[in-house]
Amino acid sequence: MTVDVAEPEAAHAGAVPPPGRAATGRPAWLGQHLGTAVLAGVGGYAFGHYLGNLIASGYVRVVTAAWNDVAIVLGLLFGILGWLAGIGAFNYALAKLAGREPVHADDPPNWTKYFRYSVEHKTVGMQYLIMVLIFFFTAGLLAMGIRTELLSPTTHIYGPGTYIEIVGEHGTMMMMMASSLVVGPLGNWLVPIMIGSRRMAFPRVEASSFWCFSAGYIVILSALALGGFPTGWTGYAPLQNQGSAGMDSYLLGFGIVGAGMILAGFNIFATIVAYRAPGLTWGRLPVFVWGMVTTSFLLTLATPTLVVAIYFGILDRTAFTELYVNAHGGSSYLWENLFWFFGHPEVYIMALPGFGIVAEIIPVFTGKPLFAYRIAAAGMVGVGLLSFFVWQHHLFMSGINPDMRPLFMLTTELISIPTGFVYLVGLGTLYKAKIRFEPPMLFCLAMYFNFLIGGITGVFQSDVPVDVTVHGSFFVLAHFHYTILGGLVFAFFGGVYYWTPKLTGRTLNRKLSIWHFWTMFIFFNLTFFPMFLIGLFDQPRRVFEYASDLTTLNDFASVSAFCLGASFIIFIVNFVWSIWIDPKRAPANPWGSKGLEWQTPTPVPPYNFERIPVVYADPYHYGEADAPPVADLEPANLAFASAASNGHRAAPVVADAD
Amino acid sequence: MSRSGRIAIVLGLLACAVFMIVWVAMNFVGSEPGTVSYLTAQAPGAPVHLVMQTDGVVGTGAHPTWVSYRIQTPKTHVFVHTALVELPANSMIDVTIYQFDSGSPLRNQFFGRVTGTIGQVAKLNGKTFKVLNSYDTPNGQGVGHTFTVPSLNINVPLEGNNTSKPTFCTKGPCSPVTQEHTTTTFAFRTPSFSGNFRFQCFIPCGAGHYAGNAGPMQTLGYMGGFLEVRA
Repeated sequence: MTVDVAEPEAAHAGAVPPPGRAATGRPAWLGQHLGTAVLAGVGGYAFGHYLGNLIASGYVRVVTAAWNDVAIVLGLLFGILGWLAGIGAFNYALAKLAGREPVHADDPPNWTKYFRYSVEHKTVGMQYLIMVLIFFFTAGLLAMGIRTELLSPTTHIYGPGTYIEIVGEHGTMMMMMASSLVVGPLGNWLVPIMIGSRRMAFPRVEASSFWCFSAGYIVILSALALGGFPTGWTGYAPLQNQGSAGMDSYLLGFGIVGAGMILAGFNIFATIVAYRAPGLTWGRLPVFVWGMVTTSFLLTLATPTLVVAIYFGILDRTAFTELYVNAHGGSSYLWENLFWFFGHPEVYIMALPGFGIVAEIIPVFTGKPLFAYRIAAAGMVGVGLLSFFVWQHHLFMSGINPDMRPLFMLTTELISIPTGFVYLVGLGTLYKAKIRFEPPMLFCLAMYFNFLIGGITGVFQSDVPVDVTVHGSFFVLAHFHYTILGGLVFAFFGGVYYWTPKLTGRTLNRKLSIWHFWTMFIFFNLTFFPMFLIGLFDQPRRVFEYASDLTTLNDFASVSAFCLGASFIIFIVNFVWSIWIDPKRAPANPWGSKGLEWQTPTPVPPYNFERIPVVYADPYHYGEADAPPVADLEPANLAFASAASNGHRAAPVVADAD
Repeated sequence: MSRSGRIAIVLGLLACAVFMIVWVAMNFVGSEPGTVSYLTAQAPGAPVHLVMQTDGVVGTGAHPTWVSYRIQTPKTHVFVHTALVELPANSMIDVTIYQFDSGSPLRNQFFGRVTGTIGQVAKLNGKTFKVLNSYDTPNGQGVGHTFTVPSLNINVPLEGNNTSKPTFCTKGPCSPVTQEHTTTTFAFRTPSFSGNFRFQCFIPCGAGHYAGNAGPMQTLGYMGGFLEVRA
């Protein structure tokens, strides 16, 4: 087997441009960057809007509706295309089409690289990290708005229309963010290094995925200016067909983020399959990478369904195809099925990376090998496969064929088995361990605590009678916040605290990190646990008024939510202070990890490895006196290296990278 | 760059972010229509005289082409663009609605009946009626809107306006003194407890929207509103 050690074409095309100059020789500010993307995006929107008015301003429906969906959709579409063209996403393809060699250079060695179309996976990872945090904090502020309104059942800050607008915007932004929360920043940054690769399989696809994701932020935010959307994050038809112009932002925004998810998943999956170092068999793959494989698999196969569903929705609103309108031969069930065929794998797109992070981190802080490594991998694969067979449990109350309910109840209960595998692997690793309670480990332990509550309440809800009782209530809301915020987001912060010394070469302040953990953990539980009770007392989701006897519980949850929001201020202060204002150099391997990523120098050089490493073992042989080395980063004797890989792969032919 | 320079940049960015957040939040807070209060407009126990109008084209606000309610303030007698009104509990409410919009036959003849009012009747231009046959209304102009409060079982059909008259109001605010309209009056009693009771028109009138149920039909302050009863 030939191992590709070639550098991306970018490496051959150009060296690092001199300071202040772009690859073309012009001043850097005249090149393509975020500023040109914004300008081209605004120009694209104006052109698309003009075109839409030209086409459809005479439609009867447009004349009487006070807005023109065709103009808004075309405006947003051309705005997105302008954004991508302005950042330079089409340069390579256009140059090839024109028969010219594309001009490209490595990232400039300064902060401006983060505002450009970079094909360096570590730069893209950092871009993603900042962008997911922007998504998270924007949607978090909207959550504060929701809880403020719910302080009183009768005194209102805003009306029901605005309330559902804020709820929908919060939910959609959080879902967009959560689907890329780990894959985007940590997946892109770490996967090539953890598998011993010098690059991603498709660097331009990777870069495009980020710029689609960031375009989605602006588009979904534009819904606020266009009157919002009345559907919540699920966008159900026929309300989708009735919604005002903000609905177009929902569809386009989710669509472009979906496109980014497909690109990101496809690239990471291909990278892991094809770019693993010699000796890195599937049985030696870091468990975080197993999380990325399964997540990427789901991203690649489930998200196209969402994009198709959104395409139909856009057609309904602009070309009046009525695909989702029952009265005209369509079916609102079509949206529900397509959406949830994506939407439930989406739940595991959000859960699996969290499983991967905690399983990767806990052996480091317990000093023990990962318990039942193969079971952990099998659990993730099992969850990934079964997740395609459970979607109709979201439709139990929609009027579907009742005979389908037991089937989907069974498949949903089945998926708790592989999920339990991953859980038990964690508990087995913790058993009789001398735990180091460092901030990353605290977040991982909290993830197990929170996900236990979220998971068990999920098993209840898979049961049809219980689901019928609690459907549409705050009980469901509490359940999925326990799994996503309590599970994924806690795991994400564990990963951020764990890998920040590698990603940035800086150490986060330990005391502030621990303050962040305890305030986030305590106030998360004080916010969302009462919501189980509120739900059992029948308070419905997405409604701005509630029974006055639930005021105390709601006020308790609201005040806790404000404190939870404040806990993130501690993180922001810590992050900004420790990384930029008063940076302290981090030790090379502060946690004593055996992971391959920690064996590389910090900062990790371009193309990660001088030579392709040869992997000898999985990185979880903690506490073993005769633990084998994980990898040889300077493989001199390739024949020996091949033999050491236990024959799982054919002898590698490794070219000299120099 | 020095540490103080970096702190200054961070504080500057923070100030910008806070400004933007406050600006957006204020937009939200101020985005809902105001409430016209009839709580202290009359002596305790005296009937409340609630005056409203329906405009086919409201003429102002974010959606100037939409159909909308307007409510008259009790003291200044100005018609305000809103559909939120505060009423005292356990009180007689005498309602006058000036209807400036055109009419059509009802899709569901059930909404031609008067329900929930005192005596289960209303008056159209001074004449008492119990049912409007929307294919044969007294002035032959169909039904323009219904004033319907489902949770109080109130429904009153409002006859459409004559579009052929030169004084037909094409853009709000419309004047009941100088412009063509129909006048519907009725009375009802508010409940003895506090609560917000939604009212809306039950003729899908979101023209240009799917099945007429979107746009003004689902937007508070246009054809959707609340009777906010306070004990």
